[in-house]
Amino acid sequence: MHSIAQKEFVSTLRDKRFLVLSVLVLALLLAATLVGRASYQTLQQERQLAQQTVNDQFRHQPARHPHRVAHYGSFAFRPRSGLSLLDSGVDSFTGTSVFLEAHQQNSVNFSQAQQSGSLIRFGEMTVAFVLQMLVPLLIIFLCFGAFTQERETGTLKLLLSQGVSLRQVAWGKILGYSRAVALVVAPALALAAALLFGTEEFTSGTDLVGRLGLFVLSYAVYFFLFIVGAVVVSAVQASSRAALVTLLGLWILGCIILPKATANLGATLYPAVTKAQMDADVHEEAQHGINGHDPQDQRSAALKAGLLKKYGVDSEEKLPVSVGGIVMSESEAYSAKVYQQHFADLNATYERQNRLSDWVGLLNPYQAIRPLSMGLAGSDFAHYVHFQQAAETYRYALVQRLNALQTSMGYGDKERKLDAHTWQQLPLFAYQAPPLGWALPRLLLPVAALLLWAVGLSWLGLRLISNSRLA
Amino acid sequence: MNYILEAKELRKEYPNKLALQGLNLQIEPGEVFCLLGQNGAGKSTTINLFLGFIAPTSGAAFVNGMEVAANPLKIKEHLAYIPENVMLYPHLTGLENLALFSSLAGFKYKEAELLDYLHHAGLPAEAVRRRVGTYSKGMRQKVGIAIAVAKHAKVLLLDEPTSGLDPKASNEFSQLLTQLSTEGTAVLMATHDIFRAKEVGTRVGIMREGELVDVRPTAALNAQELEQLYLTYMHN
Repeated sequence: MHSIAQKEFVSTLRDKRFLVLSVLVLALLLAATLVGRASYQTLQQERQLAQQTVNDQFRHQPARHPHRVAHYGSFAFRPRSGLSLLDSGVDSFTGTSVFLEAHQQNSVNFSQAQQSGSLIRFGEMTVAFVLQMLVPLLIIFLCFGAFTQERETGTLKLLLSQGVSLRQVAWGKILGYSRAVALVVAPALALAAALLFGTEEFTSGTDLVGRLGLFVLSYAVYFFLFIVGAVVVSAVQASSRAALVTLLGLWILGCIILPKATANLGATLYPAVTKAQMDADVHEEAQHGINGHDPQDQRSAALKAGLLKKYGVDSEEKLPVSVGGIVMSESEAYSAKVYQQHFADLNATYERQNRLSDWVGLLNPYQAIRPLSMGLAGSDFAHYVHFQQAAETYRYALVQRLNALQTSMGYGDKERKLDAHTWQQLPLFAYQAPPLGWALPRLLLPVAALLLWAVGLSWLGLRLISNSRLA
Repeated sequence: MNYILEAKELRKEYPNKLALQGLNLQIEPGEVFCLLGQNGAGKSTTINLFLGFIAPTSGAAFVNGMEVAANPLKIKEHLAYIPENVMLYPHLTGLENLALFSSLAGFKYKEAELLDYLHHAGLPAEAVRRRVGTYSKGMRQKVGIAIAVAKHAKVLLLDEPTSGLDPKASNEFSQLLTQLSTEGTAVLMATHDIFRAKEVGTRVGIMREGELVDVRPTAALNAQELEQLYLTYMHN
């Protein structure tokens, strides 16, 4: 088996057609890595600078009423994960920053896609794109003649007359082709690792090591599937041409048609409400709560009456707390609850759409590696939602803290201001991306799909090869 | 008697063709049995059945007492095969091809030993480190002979092995076969070359339309008589 693997490896390296193709793919991979790094650097610096600027502006506000500060608000900028230089996932299409203010849960806005031309919708040239789409093509061109060419030239009979089985020949070929593919992919991944761990701009650590390790391992399994699949197709097809056409057909089906069809099916089966509809729904439902800005609001009046009773006083002037502050706090709690419910419903819809695609990963390895790759890179929808939730948690805590400050100002707070120094005591938004342990349970289905494919294809494929014809 | 090769009522049918009908054949160690016949007479089918590359419709083939169908890998330890047109891996050199095929057969030769096999097969020294893609048919055939010899098999199955060889190389190959047979190697050779069959064979068998119609010891015939016999069967 090792002799055959070595033969395939050496023959492949000496084949000019493979050399040209592999140099092209390697160049694309290296370019995508460097472009990914440059993009990461630019965006990360922009976001860090913007975050620092808004933080400074927030902390250096003059003496103000706390509720004005709550409306002045702040921004949360989403930092990019280190591995997003390899797989930018949905980052380009989701927003980068969210305005945090009182009474309002704003969307994360200003995605790259919003600010770029329509070409970005055709997909970016990322390392993940090359690994998911182009390396399989390289594998197809490398392996389609694995058995058909041996049969066509007559070398297979001579090979088998030496006492090796078809199964041994197949494994030898799979091993040899795997080495050749590793030779093409490894330099780009090594460069990415050097950039990730050799420069200061990335926060390296065991989490990043784990993510990168699993990223590489996942793609190794993905490529293995394509190699085994191509060798099996080559063994069962009558000619090299038929094998190539079959493999290209499968590539088009798996990498282009099925993902699009699944996305459309998901959107049809689980339609999501539009942003405008959701905003309208939230606004409408929030009306049922206390309106902090409406002095005529009956619920505010009831709350005020309750406070008077609680403190045993007969007028608002005698209360030790600001009624306005408590009303604001109650109003915020209610609107946040309404928003969270709608947000959870919307996310559940998106989750169902994504889940459908994940299940199709059991039929199509491309739809298994995609979510796995994005999830490990920290650029999938779940990581985006994690940021969104962190920003909302911070917003809510900040606004409620400001409401508490207002409450503590007592009666007549609207005529007074708090010292500028007060705002410097408030915590700033500091986002901590979730660790690998948080991401992994969400990726179990794609992991299981890839492993099932690997085991199933090896078992069934090698049985097919054993029973394939020689001549 | 222990036969190294034996066919018992060996039959091979394809959907629209009877390739071999009830072949009975026994070959002893050291014997060189030449199968003569036109294209499609069943010579290559017989060799492929002994190699286990095709399954018989009925009957059985045996190598060193083992049934081929039941021991498809084990029997190949005793067989070496040279096809009519030896095809090798074009991106490897002659030396690398020989090393590969020998290692698959379980032999890890040193480079000097490999060079020796190639030299004895008649491959020019300047060609051994050249890629096989640049070889002529005759040169590939010589590497094929080296591969077969290096396997030290008990049986050589040869399907038109001298096809493409120049007369000198063919003659050297005949001498090699004679030497191997005296060392106990059995040879089953399919050929069109009546004179080569007479020269190296101990017995000749004439095949026609899938049937072994005559078997004669070569010692009992001269080349002209053998040719006459062959032509008689072909005309009938």
